[in-house]
This record gives sequence, structure tokens and C-alpha cells, in this order.
Amino acid sequence: MRWPAFLNLKTIGLLLTGGIAGAVFILVLIEFDHATSSEAFCTSCHSMEIVAEPYRQSVHYSPTSGVRASCGDCHVSRGLISATWDHVLGTKDLLKQLFGADYDNPVVNLVHAPDAAFKAREWFRKTDSDTCLRCHVLDAIKGSRADTLKVHQEEAEGKSCIDCHINLVHRKVPGKKVFKRDAWNRMVEEEFGLEAGMAEKIRQGLVAAPQL
Amino acid sequence: MKITAIIIFLFFLIIQPLFAAKVKVDPSEFGVEGGNACVDCHFKTSAGLAEQWKKSRHGQLGMNCLDCHQAKTEDSDAIEHEGFTIATIVSPKDCGRCHVTEYQQNSSSVHANAVSLISKRLPAMAQNLGGKAIVAAGCDQCHGSVVKVKGDGTLDKATWPNSGIGRVNPDGSKGSCSSCHGRHEFSKAQARDPSSCMRCHSGPDSPDRAIFEASKHGMAFAANKDKMNLDADSWVAGKDYTSGPTCVTCHMGAAGKLPPNHDVGLRNSWNLNTVVSERQQLVIFEDGDKMDLPESQEAPDPGTETTKIDGTLGTVKMVIPPDRRRKAMSVVCLECHGKSFVSSFMEQFDSVVELYNAKFGKPAQAIMEALYDKELLTPTPFDEAIEFTYWELWHDEGTRARHGAAMASPNHTWWEGMYLVARNFYSKFLPQVKEIAGKEAEALIQKHVKSDTENHGWMDQPNKLSPILGYGNSKPDGK
Repeated sequence: MRWPAFLNLKTIGLLLTGGIAGAVFILVLIEFDHATSSEAFCTSCHSMEIVAEPYRQSVHYSPTSGVRASCGDCHVSRGLISATWDHVLGTKDLLKQLFGADYDNPVVNLVHAPDAAFKAREWFRKTDSDTCLRCHVLDAIKGSRADTLKVHQEEAEGKSCIDCHINLVHRKVPGKKVFKRDAWNRMVEEEFGLEAGMAEKIRQGLVAAPQL
Repeated sequence: MKITAIIIFLFFLIIQPLFAAKVKVDPSEFGVEGGNACVDCHFKTSAGLAEQWKKSRHGQLGMNCLDCHQAKTEDSDAIEHEGFTIATIVSPKDCGRCHVTEYQQNSSSVHANAVSLISKRLPAMAQNLGGKAIVAAGCDQCHGSVVKVKGDGTLDKATWPNSGIGRVNPDGSKGSCSSCHGRHEFSKAQARDPSSCMRCHSGPDSPDRAIFEASKHGMAFAANKDKMNLDADSWVAGKDYTSGPTCVTCHMGAAGKLPPNHDVGLRNSWNLNTVVSERQQLVIFEDGDKMDLPESQEAPDPGTETTKIDGTLGTVKMVIPPDRRRKAMSVVCLECHGKSFVSSFMEQFDSVVELYNAKFGKPAQAIMEALYDKELLTPTPFDEAIEFTYWELWHDEGTRARHGAAMASPNHTWWEGMYLVARNFYSKFLPQVKEIAGKEAEALIQKHVKSDTENHGWMDQPNKLSPILGYGNSKPDGK
């Protein structure tokens, strides 16, 4: 048997190098996606620390089973390509963190929280709550009450997790349809002892939020 | 003017239907689309309330969860729930979509105004004696909370859950139908049973549970409950039941020609929960609101503006004098009692109130005012022992005596009522006055108490023998 003419030592060398480089690239990507999906990475921005606080009180952080869902487990798609793409899109958040409003400030963070929640819910809806399925299997949802099992067997058809399960982990935000910006702003003002009207001005970036 | 008012009032009584107003909404409009999906889940997640609903008239007529819980997205308490826009709280305004008459009648009642009515009493109770926790779990559970919807769409835990009868709802309506009509069965029998009133009308300031139970009316009800026809559609005293009255019978129910009315205070001619009782006029405003006005205050002319219970201004439509209210109440009595029986009973009742006023209420009030004026007491409520003495004298014991007489419990009129008022007045209140006012006390007591020799003259006869306490029994002629 003869080797094809183009398979000289040089091409074989090149192919091998390319193959190894590709493999390394994939490995790096896996590691990169893994590292950037961790709680430690996400909360390296202070703004995310604020968001993570309620998460740390939630069942997703400390379930009785001990299976902890990290940020990326829920918010980064399954599959390497989708995960990488999510992280590429995520750089937009990084740019906003660096050059946008002062999200590290709890007041700024809270006035913008609903928009973040709406976007996140939209994403879950678009992906058919795919990341939930990383851990949850519909058939296996039994719950501690009999009705949990029945509801998930009989009422869940055609529904996506996010359709029923919102406000599980992060700070409570009303559904988008019934959301009232005024009421939310008033809550922020009350919570931080701000004058009436301040929250909206802070949201629009017209005034700086007080340093707390 | 008065004559016109009376004529209008009578007309107003007569044109009303004889029993609960018919719901005019066509049953074909019941059963909002999608509402049955709620039921599928709720039979699993909250089977108790779903079962209650299914058994209820609402359920049987084909109404579903959304008929009552539907909300518009712009409603302040609207939430998204499994794809539906709903509200947790079904307010009287929501119930009023079908139960128009009951909603209107109740909205202007003392029940619906139970928050405003205690606005002057609440701060001292809530801040000085109790605390926020007591307001939420105590006061507001009967009087009603001012429900607060937080910016995140949740109901403020300090204000919800709450079934207080004067609850101020997120939609601005006042009251809570489920206070008496327990959700989700809304049973007629349950609302007519005195036990639904007794959740709140028991205890010192409204001791009606004990009083009713100890009265002949309560006796008759307890013995004949099964003959009371409690879940009948038509429930007219003297026609649909005759064994005895419940709270609802006299205060709201239909009797003879008297129509039922969801304004519970309409037939009350006295105010029995004040330091000094007064007969009360009923001011009816153009917008349907109502307000009790003590007889000593001049009735505003129709067409003029006056301040309502909630502090806003309203245009007066008419003023009903106290005797008309008494007359309405008497119509109920007459279903089972004779005319002179009723008027004599009312006279016995009125005499107790007048005795309380003259002998204890007015003197105690005058003395307290003098002590405050002379700065012998600080104006801060409840920082001095005598303030508790005084409060209990009229608010607890005095109320019990007066309610006892109103509802015919001899025991509460005397032993649990006026006897305690007297004991408090002579053995606690006056000695405390002497302690506080020192040299000035005698003059105060002379002016406000002893000058009334008919009621208090016995105090100046220290040598009278007291067979009741066992002294002097053996001495002839009291010598």
C-alpha cells in the first residue's frame, strides 16, 4: 500500500499539530466555561455579590440533598458551543459592569433588578427551561407532599418550568405583565430611606445613588 | 325637614326587597374561561378550599376561581400566577360585581369603617401598651388592616393575612366579606350563626358573645338551633323561623316588613362604647356613605358639606334621628313580642344606659378632665394607674353593663357590668383621685359626685347599718 502523495511528513506534522491544538483549544474552552460558570467567578464583580445574597438563602444553594446549583448551572446553556456562546454574550454584561451604571451600589442594583429578572425569565422561556433539566427530571419530581407528584404528572404537560416557577432563588420581582415601576421605585426608596422620586432619577442615571 | 327625612327613610325601608338581594348577573356569565384549569391544580395543592368551593353555591352555579380572583394587570395587587393575572385578595368591590346591594350597604356601615373608627384609640393601644406584632395579630384581625402591597408584588406581612371587617383593600374598598362569610364555602348558615360574629364580638370591649349566650334569646337559639332554618334562601324572622333570634336577626335580618340590611349599625339608636353614651343620629351622604352623629351635635342640613368618618368631606343627603333607628329595631322585636312588651323593655334598657351615664360615666369623665386640666396627670395615656382604672370603668365594665341591658342578660347588666363599674368607681377610682389630687380631691368629688345626692347620697350616711355585710343585724332599729 502506498501513502497518498500529499501525506508527506510535513502535512502529517501539520495535521498532528492542528489536532493537538484543537484538542487543547477544546480543553481550554471546557475549563474556561467551567471556571466562568462558578459562583466564585460571577461574584468577583460586586454587583453579582448583591444578587447572590438571596441565592445563598435559597433551596438551590442548600438543598437537603447537598446538590448545589452554581450560577452557571442555571444561567449557562448545556453543551459546549451554547455555553461558549452564552459567555460571549455575557461579555456585554462585563462591559456594562465596567462602563455602565454603578451596579455595585445596592440602590442602583435594586432599581435595575426587575429588568434583569425579566430578561432572565425570557431566556429561560426561550430555552424551554433547559438548564433546569440538568438536575430535574419531570418523572422523578415527587416532592414531600402527595400533590407535588400529581401536579407535575398531570398539570405540567406543555408547560416549561419557568411558567410556574419564578421568584425561587433571587429577590422577588413581580411578573412583567403586572409589574409597576412606580411601586417598585417606592419600595426601593422606602428600603434605603430615599426621598420620593429619587429611585427613578437614579435609574435614569440623572443623579448618583447615595453611597451606602 | 325632619318629616321629609322620615318619609324618605320609610320609603327607603319599604322599597328594599324582603330578603337578600337577587344577584342580577346572568349565570351564563359565570365561569370565566381558563378558570377551570385553576381547579385542576388546586384540588391537588389545596384540596380543602377546592372542596369547599365545589360544595358552595358559587361552585354549583358554575363559578370558578377566576370569577372572583381575576384581576386587571393595572390593579395594584395583581400577580401573575401560572399564566393568569389574579389577585389574592377578593375585596368587597370584587364581591360587589354580583352582590351589588350588599356591597353598597356594607361599604357605608360601621363595620366597613372599623379602621377609621378606632384611629383615635389605636395609637395608645398599639404603641404604648402593645406593639406592631399585636396590631397585626390582634387589633387588625377584627378591625381590619390597611393592606399594603409591596413594590415586589407581595403583600406586606404586617397587613396580610387579614379578615378584619374594616380592612382597607388595595383597590380602595373597605371591608372584608369573608370576615363573616367564611371562604371558600360562603355558607349562609355559617354567616347567620352567632359564632361568626363572636370571633370579634367577645371580650371586654364587645362582650356580646357571653351576653347573647346568657340571654333568653341565646337560650332559645341554643335549644332550637336545628329549627332555625339557617340555610334557607329566604330568612325572614317570624316567617321562616320563629325559635329565637341570632345577632343577624336583630342587627341585619329581615323581619316582617323590615328588609334585611348589610349595614349592621343601622338599627342602633345608642352608642354603647363611649365614656358617656349618646343617642345617635344617622347622617346619610349623597354618595351613599353614612356616619353616626351624637344627638348633642346639631344635625347638618341636607345639601351642606360635613366631615365623614374617614376625614374627607361629604354632602349630606339626609339625617335620620335616633328614634327612627329605634323604631326599625323594634319592628324586629314585634315579630315575636307585643307592643308594650317591646316599649317597656326598651325603657328598661334606656334606663340602665341613663343611670350609667349619670352615676358613673359623666362624673368620671368630668373628674378626669379636671385632673388633666390641673396637670395632676400627664396627657400621655396609660402612664398613670388611674388611666387604666378609668379606661376599664367605661370601656370594659361600663360597656358590659350597657350591652347586657341592650341584649337582656341580667347577669351582665349587674354582676358582670354595673356592679363592677360601681366597685371600680367607689373602691378604686375615687381613692386614686384622692391620692392624686390631695387637698383638691374633696372639692372635685363634691362637685362631680356627691352633689348628685340621688345617686351618691348614700356615701354621706356613714352610720347606716349594713345587714348585707353582717354588721348590725342584731341591733334593733339600726341603733
